[in-house]
Amino acid sequence: MDYTKKIMYHSNYWYNDGLKRAQIRDTSGAIVSLRRSLQYNRENVAARNLLGLVYYGRGEVAEALVEWIISRNFRQRDNIANEYLRNIQNSNRELGAVNQAIKRYNQCLAYCAQGAEDMAVIQLKRAVSMHPTFLKAYQLLALLYLHAGQYAQARQMLKEARKLDTTNEMTLRYTQELKRLHGRKARQAGRPEEPGKNEVVEYKRGNDTLIQPRPSTVRRSGGGFLNMLLGMLMGAAVVWFLIAPAVQESKAAQMNKEILEYSERIGSMEAQISAQTRMLDSYRATSADTEAAAQNAASTLDSYENLMNVSDQYDSRGYSEDVMADALLNVNRDSLGERGQALYDELVGNIFPYACRILYNAAMESYNVANYDLSADNLDKVVRMDEGYEGGNALLHLGLSCRRRGDGEAAARHLNRVVELFPDTEYANTAREELEAIATEASASPGSEGENSEQEGENPEQSGENQGEGESEQNEEASGEGGEDPEQNGEN
Amino acid sequence: MLNYEEELKKFKPSLEVEDIEDAVYQEDLSDMSDLLKQVMDRSGVPTRS
Repeated sequence: MDYTKKIMYHSNYWYNDGLKRAQIRDTSGAIVSLRRSLQYNRENVAARNLLGLVYYGRGEVAEALVEWIISRNFRQRDNIANEYLRNIQNSNRELGAVNQAIKRYNQCLAYCAQGAEDMAVIQLKRAVSMHPTFLKAYQLLALLYLHAGQYAQARQMLKEARKLDTTNEMTLRYTQELKRLHGRKARQAGRPEEPGKNEVVEYKRGNDTLIQPRPSTVRRSGGGFLNMLLGMLMGAAVVWFLIAPAVQESKAAQMNKEILEYSERIGSMEAQISAQTRMLDSYRATSADTEAAAQNAASTLDSYENLMNVSDQYDSRGYSEDVMADALLNVNRDSLGERGQALYDELVGNIFPYACRILYNAAMESYNVANYDLSADNLDKVVRMDEGYEGGNALLHLGLSCRRRGDGEAAARHLNRVVELFPDTEYANTAREELEAIATEASASPGSEGENSEQEGENPEQSGENQGEGESEQNEEASGEGGEDPEQNGEN
Repeated sequence: MLNYEEELKKFKPSLEVEDIEDAVYQEDLSDMSDLLKQVMDRSGVPTRS
């Protein structure tokens, strides 16, 4: 085989190897392989372009540019290096920042040589912030932190370095040293070496280093349950003290509102009821008045009817005076008009005297035969027509008839009327005697106290009347009666 | 155990943008072909052009 072909094959072989390593971010191994590929064939443009890309990936932008420039010199057309260079030239700002970071890194090396590690750390922090993919800066910063004993920061820097180059020998060696130093520190503190176990957790966020206590799993599990229980209790307390009263208050407010509405409705209904009651009362009064008016009208009608009947009867001369008198007694003179009253008076004047005579004679005959009911009826009519008929004799016998038939009350009433109207007459004496007898009978019977009290009321009146008249006989009688009355009172 | 000083020596200055031109010119681009050619020249073996 032609040796040139062999060289080509070897060059391609190492290019492929470098490509595999680059794909898994093994930039150190990729650089070695690609350099070897270029050693076999310097014109392997692909290998050179990839080498530049690998350099760019680990932050060595200048080295990458060198490779791309050389690649472009070997092949000016169909070369991706042209595009890479064009992108770099178009982003002058980023290139300037990268350049500044590189300068700071180089300055840090001088600081470290002078022993000014503090200044170096400050400059390197700025460098990695300006150029976050600068691998060598992370490694140098990690070395400085290890030297200063700041293992957490060193771990963070090494973590970033491993992201950029997974198999970098320096990074791996520093990481191993870090583990060793951390374990020795734990043993010196008296605690068992537990890789990965630490009370604090340190991690880096940008330029800041955050330190937090490591959470305890035991505390987390037990405390979680306790916290949940406590949360449930607090929730129940919130519901009991805050939500339940509010709910009850809203319910009470709703109930009060309903009660208020019902009260208003009751009030309005009561008002309606009272209004309707007043209206009903007014209707009743109106109806009473209407009824009274109707009765009055009926009475007037009856009166006119009776009057007309009596007038006709009188004109016909076919009826006796007592019959016509009965009809006239049913006439209400006050309900008649002026002409009606005049006719009434005329008829009364013509009929009543004869009727009184007829009825009085019949009554006396009945009285004499002890038919006291008939006599009382007839005498009642006579008295209604003429109360003073026969000088009060009709009234007297009316009282006597009532007494004889057992109606003491009516008898007393009529007899008192006799005494009242005809005090100086024999009829009055008789009436008084009868009244005394009635009183005596009333006191003698059971439950007669009421009657006695009534009679006592009457007797003082009688004594008062007798004294008021001022005549000697009456005074003697009164004194006698006064003397008798106390005896009766004593008996009572 | 790391030796801080020794480790520090391993860190070399990084190439800056201003130095790219010089670095391109100073880049050693010799490869296997050149090496074989030199060997053959020294041995006096004629080489194909």
